[in-house]
Amino acid sequence: MIKNYIKIAWRNALRQKQFTILNILGLSIGIGTCFIIGLYIHSEMTYDTFHDKADRIYRVNQPNIWDDWNEIASNTGPNVAIALREDAPEFEEITRLLRTGTQIVRSNHNEEASLYSEEHYFAVEENFFDVFSFKFLQGDSNTALSEPMSMVMTQKTAERYFGTENPIGKTVEVKDYDNSWKTYTVKGVLADVPYKSHIQFDMLVSLKSYSEMMQRNGWKWIWTAFSTYGLVKEGTDIAAFTKKIQAIPPKWAPPTTERIFNQTFKEFTAGHDWTLYLQPLREIYLSEAPAIHSFGPTGNPMFVKVFGAIGILVLILSSINFMNLSTARSSKRAKEIGVRKVLGSKRKALIKQFVIESTLFVLIGTVFALIFVQLSLGIFSTVADVKIELIPYLGNPIFLAIVLLFVLGLGLISGSYPAFYLSMFQPIETLKGKMSTKFKGKGIRNGLVVFQFTISIALVICTLFVQKQLAYTSSLDLGFEKDNILQIHNIEQIGFDTETLKTKLESNPAFSKVGKSFGLPPNIWSGDRYKTLGGNDQVVQLRNVRTEEDYLDVLGVEFVAGRNFDSSRPTDKYKVILNEKAVKTLGWGNPETYATNSPIGKIVALASGSEDEFEVMGVVKDFNINSVQQEIAPLIIIHHQNDKVWDYGAGLSYYSMKLNPEVVKNPGELQTLIDEVKNDIAQIDPSVPFEYSFMDQDFENTFVSEQRMGVILSIFTVMALLIACLGLFGLAAFTAEQRIKELSIRKVLGAKVSELAFLFSSEFTKLVLISIILASPIAYFLVDEWLKDFAYRTPIDSWVFIVAAISAFVVTLVTVSFQTIKAASTNPVHNLRAE
Amino acid sequence: MLLQLKNISKWVHSGGQKVFLLKDINFWVNEGDFISIMGPSGSGKSTLLNIIGMLDDFNEGEYTFLEEKVHSLKEKHRANLYKQYIGFVFQAYHLIDELTVKENLEMPLLYKKHSASERKSLVADMLDRFNIVGKKDLFPSQLSGGQQQLVGVARALIASPKLILADEPTGNLNSKQGEEIMEIFTQLNKDGVTIIQVTHSEKNMAYGSRVINLLDGKIE
Repeated sequence: MIKNYIKIAWRNALRQKQFTILNILGLSIGIGTCFIIGLYIHSEMTYDTFHDKADRIYRVNQPNIWDDWNEIASNTGPNVAIALREDAPEFEEITRLLRTGTQIVRSNHNEEASLYSEEHYFAVEENFFDVFSFKFLQGDSNTALSEPMSMVMTQKTAERYFGTENPIGKTVEVKDYDNSWKTYTVKGVLADVPYKSHIQFDMLVSLKSYSEMMQRNGWKWIWTAFSTYGLVKEGTDIAAFTKKIQAIPPKWAPPTTERIFNQTFKEFTAGHDWTLYLQPLREIYLSEAPAIHSFGPTGNPMFVKVFGAIGILVLILSSINFMNLSTARSSKRAKEIGVRKVLGSKRKALIKQFVIESTLFVLIGTVFALIFVQLSLGIFSTVADVKIELIPYLGNPIFLAIVLLFVLGLGLISGSYPAFYLSMFQPIETLKGKMSTKFKGKGIRNGLVVFQFTISIALVICTLFVQKQLAYTSSLDLGFEKDNILQIHNIEQIGFDTETLKTKLESNPAFSKVGKSFGLPPNIWSGDRYKTLGGNDQVVQLRNVRTEEDYLDVLGVEFVAGRNFDSSRPTDKYKVILNEKAVKTLGWGNPETYATNSPIGKIVALASGSEDEFEVMGVVKDFNINSVQQEIAPLIIIHHQNDKVWDYGAGLSYYSMKLNPEVVKNPGELQTLIDEVKNDIAQIDPSVPFEYSFMDQDFENTFVSEQRMGVILSIFTVMALLIACLGLFGLAAFTAEQRIKELSIRKVLGAKVSELAFLFSSEFTKLVLISIILASPIAYFLVDEWLKDFAYRTPIDSWVFIVAAISAFVVTLVTVSFQTIKAASTNPVHNLRAE
Repeated sequence: MLLQLKNISKWVHSGGQKVFLLKDINFWVNEGDFISIMGPSGSGKSTLLNIIGMLDDFNEGEYTFLEEKVHSLKEKHRANLYKQYIGFVFQAYHLIDELTVKENLEMPLLYKKHSASERKSLVADMLDRFNIVGKKDLFPSQLSGGQQQLVGVARALIASPKLILADEPTGNLNSKQGEEIMEIFTQLNKDGVTIIQVTHSEKNMAYGSRVINLLDGKIE
């Protein structure tokens, strides 16, 4: 019997080619989109699962003790691990990873020395590989990092330094902070790190290499450059265990706070809890927290939610298409159904037949969808900046089982309504050709079309607002001129005295201004605890950045009160400049009150350790030091030569140059200029890697994930709209067929083609109108929710809704116009003669 | 007695009034009868045939088929009953366009859950009997009207029904084709199959043994 069903389904499909193509196309697009999204979500949710003991690995997080205690940070001091080893036997292993930052590494092994700036470089403890299962190709994971000055590297890194030669036992040199070179011996080669790992490294050195530095500093609980990972014993109750370890910071941290800051533990935390959070390894990649100081790739949980929802919606849209087209062409199948019933088919058998038929369609659609997925995956991966592949899944029995279940499930769902609808036909009526059933189910069909268009239009509106917000954020006034600023990195490698370089840069006519800074917007994250002196002594968090006076000129920030640093006045170097927000945070009022209560001359002091005091000499207008998603943070600008601050001389530094557009007129000239600067630096110190960036691009990058979302959302919106249009096109074709006699009679009675076209398309434009009315509030709600994440929001203007509505009408009219014109312009005689 | 209709009435409501399609119909059919139902358009011939075929309901009266009270049977039983005992022949043939002659013939057997080998032999018998072996792989659209009706009759017969219901079986055929079909009916009747046909034509009526004349839903 099933053979008979398949046979008749196949022959029907061949006979009604237009219907079949529309149906399979719609299904393929829907299923394909759903698969791509499914693969994407699966990929996003399976990061870090390749470790053998992944289920038992946790990262220890704690509050961001340097800034906002309510924020969670993924970094801890080195002694969190020491304390846990002592007090938490539930951990089988605890291992630390030190974020050393970018290192300059060279090998003199080749004839030509190779020098690289290694960004993915960490120091780890010798038991690192007892916790994580990174694969060793050469060397012994148990002993590779047990000695100081040992190093392992990934295969591709090894090739970079040593080519095809065996790297084991060879050495590389790493530039230390004092510009001396330290020699490390390669003890192991690892397979390249899987991309689905939140720890991405090219080189790992033994933490023991840093033991002297760790001993000397004694910043046991506040040197938050470490990531602490623990492997819990099997069967550990994580909730109870988490509760238990909360006793650790109050017990172990006080000596550190007392010694370094001369503060009790309570004073240091200012009443906050120093919570230790256990974050499961497999959740690290995709979790929203900790937002800061998380290294390696991070996912976006909102993407997963948004695209998951879109995947399901698109699938619903395409199965609605199937239902609509199947019921619409029911008149074609009515006779068959009648005959089958007369010949003794029960309703159940007919339902079975149509469900099998739809499953068959879904199966074919799925095959096409898989081809479509394979073909478009490359583009999608590039656009969405993810790595997803289909081929490896095809041999996976679980994946195949899911696909099979999916086909059966979708076949059942999309076949159910047509099956019940079609099997309801009364045989006598259908055989007499009465087909009064013809107009039944139209209400439901129209409802489904409205549903499809509501979703599509809502998506269109959301997409437009995402684009509008992106345009808005990139056009926002940052409080300074971000364009035409070239920034050179790694200046700290030259040493502290960089005047030679500066003189060279200043003499270049392409640069109108040159300034040095120890941080660059939008990435000024370092902050410290400050208080007003003689005031209420309230401790506040301020971001800080050290700059020379010229840097503020490069940015062109505006002074509200006071003045910029002046190199001719030596005392200026112990003074500071605040932004308006910082003045307000310190309780010194706002620009309106400066006249009566000027912040100039007031004293701000570091609230930890040294308690250095600084006189405020200027206030600048607020400007964005971070992305425009965030509110402007309070900022204190410190003179770069202020040798009283504890980090004087340390940290990364940069030169920023304002380009003179008169001199640099085109990309070619810009490239020449960059080469010149590269040359200048190489002359001073050839071991300094040359890196540069443009500030406007750095700001663009802060909403790269929103931009990406904008692009992906646009693609899926087009998909959804396409599916809805395919459905509408099919429906219009069948409506035209049903109404052809009516239209012919009208024509015979004198109706013009235009009148008929209007009459015919009004049936569909009505539906779209209803969809617009339904979609607008839904879209408004979604957009409103999304915009809440931004500090600066584009207004939800009504014209966007109007644009969406007009486009929906245009798309509808274009879609049905083909059928409209065909139906309205046929010779009525042909259609009436048949009767 | 094969079947008996007692006081059968069927009506519809139109403009608040009962309009009788059939009123107080009484008659019975014995096995081996060849009955012709005659009457002008709209007299209720087809409705009566559909009621006998259990494809349509009636509002009043009793219908007994092989001692089963059809009016009190559930839909499922009713379907089983006609599936087993009744074959239908239509004016417009009603073959399934997407199936070949052979497959059309096989269809009723599929619903009666015959085995594949049984189906094969029954279909072969039928093709043989109606001399259409050469046409077995053609689709209905490739046949003439007479040939299509031949397949229609063969399909009605394949499950060996006791009763054949034919609604204007020659209505779409030319006179020669019509005669052929009527000859086949006569032969079937001789073999013991009961036949009830609805017809307009006096000539076809002559093949039957009994005539029921309908006018405005009543037997005259």
